[in-house]
Amino acid sequence: MTVEVWLYGPLTRYAPAPSKPGYAQLHLSLPDGSAMQDLIRHLGIPQKEKGITFVNGDLTDMPGLQADSDRVLHDGDRIGLMHTRSMWPFQYRFLAKTSPQLEKKMKRGGGGGVFHSSHGRSSTREGR
Amino acid sequence: MAKILRVDIGTESVAFEEVPDKYKFARGRWLTSSLVADEVDPTCHPLGPGNKLVFSPGIVTGTTAPTSARISVGGKSPLTGGIKESNAGAKFATMQARLGIAAIIVQGQPKDSKQYVLAVDKNGARLVAEDGLRGLGTYATTDALIAKYGKVGVCCIGPAGEMRMAMAGICFNDLEDRASRFSGRGGLGAVMGAKGLKAIVVNSRGAPAVPIVDKELFEAGRAKLTKAIRSHDITKPKGGLNTYGTAVLLNILNEAGALPTRNFSRGRFEKAADVAGEAIFEGNKARLGKEVYNHACSPGCIIQCSNTWYAPDGSEMVSCIEYETVWALGPDCEIGDLDVIGRLTWLCNDIGLDTIEAGGTLAVAMEGGVIPFGDKKGAVKLMEEVGKGTPLGHIIGAGAAVTGRVFGVVRVPTVKGQHMPAYEPRVVKGIGVTYATTPMGADHTAGYTIAPEILGVSGKVDSFDVNKAELSRNFQTTTAFIDSSGHCLFIAFPILDFPEGFQGVIDECNGLLGTRWTAEDIGRIGADILARERAFNKTAGFTNADDRLPEFMKYEPLPPHNEVWNVSDAELDAVHGDAAS
Repeated sequence: MTVEVWLYGPLTRYAPAPSKPGYAQLHLSLPDGSAMQDLIRHLGIPQKEKGITFVNGDLTDMPGLQADSDRVLHDGDRIGLMHTRSMWPFQYRFLAKTSPQLEKKMKRGGGGGVFHSSHGRSSTREGR
Repeated sequence: MAKILRVDIGTESVAFEEVPDKYKFARGRWLTSSLVADEVDPTCHPLGPGNKLVFSPGIVTGTTAPTSARISVGGKSPLTGGIKESNAGAKFATMQARLGIAAIIVQGQPKDSKQYVLAVDKNGARLVAEDGLRGLGTYATTDALIAKYGKVGVCCIGPAGEMRMAMAGICFNDLEDRASRFSGRGGLGAVMGAKGLKAIVVNSRGAPAVPIVDKELFEAGRAKLTKAIRSHDITKPKGGLNTYGTAVLLNILNEAGALPTRNFSRGRFEKAADVAGEAIFEGNKARLGKEVYNHACSPGCIIQCSNTWYAPDGSEMVSCIEYETVWALGPDCEIGDLDVIGRLTWLCNDIGLDTIEAGGTLAVAMEGGVIPFGDKKGAVKLMEEVGKGTPLGHIIGAGAAVTGRVFGVVRVPTVKGQHMPAYEPRVVKGIGVTYATTPMGADHTAGYTIAPEILGVSGKVDSFDVNKAELSRNFQTTTAFIDSSGHCLFIAFPILDFPEGFQGVIDECNGLLGTRWTAEDIGRIGADILARERAFNKTAGFTNADDRLPEFMKYEPLPPHNEVWNVSDAELDAVHGDAAS
């Protein structure tokens, strides 16, 4: 199967071919049944750099949650991968299209998924 | 003691007054909206003698509180016909606060076509008749005023304000004295123009420090908030905002299918990544041979999100290109070229326009067949016509609602006559609720929030299966308070995730004022501000029917999600209950 992958910001360094300023658009062939984690491994992106993620316009991951590792990809999927440096504040994503897996993880994180960055939250707690 | 400076243009008089006891703690939006509600007849013509223009720095503005140099501007909006509060980050705010001036109220109307500059310093205020600035852009105006008055905070209008265009903003100088910070929304620049007031200059030299009742408590609060800002991924040094600016949102909203494109007819733009924050950062690096991180718009900002776009020869083209600006002048018009967007932004700054209304109106004009979508040269020419005040320029300058009516366009994305910002409400439905129900007209800055446990809704809040009305109401009340504190709304990012940051804001205010506010008091103050604003709008003629998104969004599915707007009217009406509309 072939998927369309968009890498943004610092993640462009993992693009196999030269990218445009600030992003890279790839068409990748993957074995049928490949999941998000297979794609991430294929590209060599360290888990800690994977931030906000979209599959076909649905939000599937937020920094630090890895909510879409097992998500199976399909032929023709558009996957958008952001670095942890990107942000999507809550009020600008409130009721946007979100995968059920991510919804579940965000709810479990407290606050019903209202927070801006579970990554920011946990990293500072560890720092205290 | 803090004072109110009242400037009557009709009598060419200035007077300092005591701050009424009921407003002794009110600053920022709290004071501007209260004074407008108290002193302006909601049924008056926004450009007539009955309207007033009010400037107020926030509660902690002028102190060492981080990221707190906001100036709130209020009046009746010529764009919406309702109450308007629009704030900007600028040294003007710090200087006015240090002069102990809680509010500047500009009222009356010039007897003839005279133009004025108001000069304020520690010795008082003077209204000076000044004809030499007439018709000048904001850049030349700012330069001329600095040459004449020295190191001053400048507030001015461009030709659009002088021509009383409903999309005219009020411009402030940034730390490098660029004319680039705007109280952009709602046409307050036209109100200033109708008063014949070209500019205000403030100089706080020799002024005492802003008085603080309990310095220890203030310092403790300041430290808590500073720590929260500096540790959060979005706001820390070299974090998202400092590296990519607010335009970091462009790729996100595009991937989400929620980036309004081609006048809100699609949710994705094929060239979005070419004009996003990441492209600005990398483009500057290529043109300058080094990484450029963003700068502060105003004194004491530690988030520093303002970017600059450099020309191919390495010279500065424009600062700042916000997310909303890139989007309005880019994807919404199907323009995917940063140099053209940079040129259009420069023109908006110079003419003195709200970039959201300006870009959105260009897109509506394109829809109406004035020029084709994606026509770069045509877009620049149309913007220049606005600056020159040609008949077509005046139509565009009146905003999207008027332009849509003139050219017979149905797809006009406005609420209460104000153009929507860069988030598609058919996809991000939560922000649609706020667009519909804020007293300001479609506004993305009306609904910021703080940690839900502080709002007292912990455990109940569920962003996916939620009482939208309750959450939006909470957002709007919180925002009304932050807009009054003097802090930039971007402190909402860290204080949502770190509740101690929010406690820091409360401690700062209590330390400065000697109050004992709790989080509940903050909610009460915010709710009171909103209630005043809505009461003003109700008397001005607004009803629940104005708390709606445009009809086309209900029947036009938006690709790629093919969603329509389907939040019920009953849910929208529940946001403010049975209160005034």
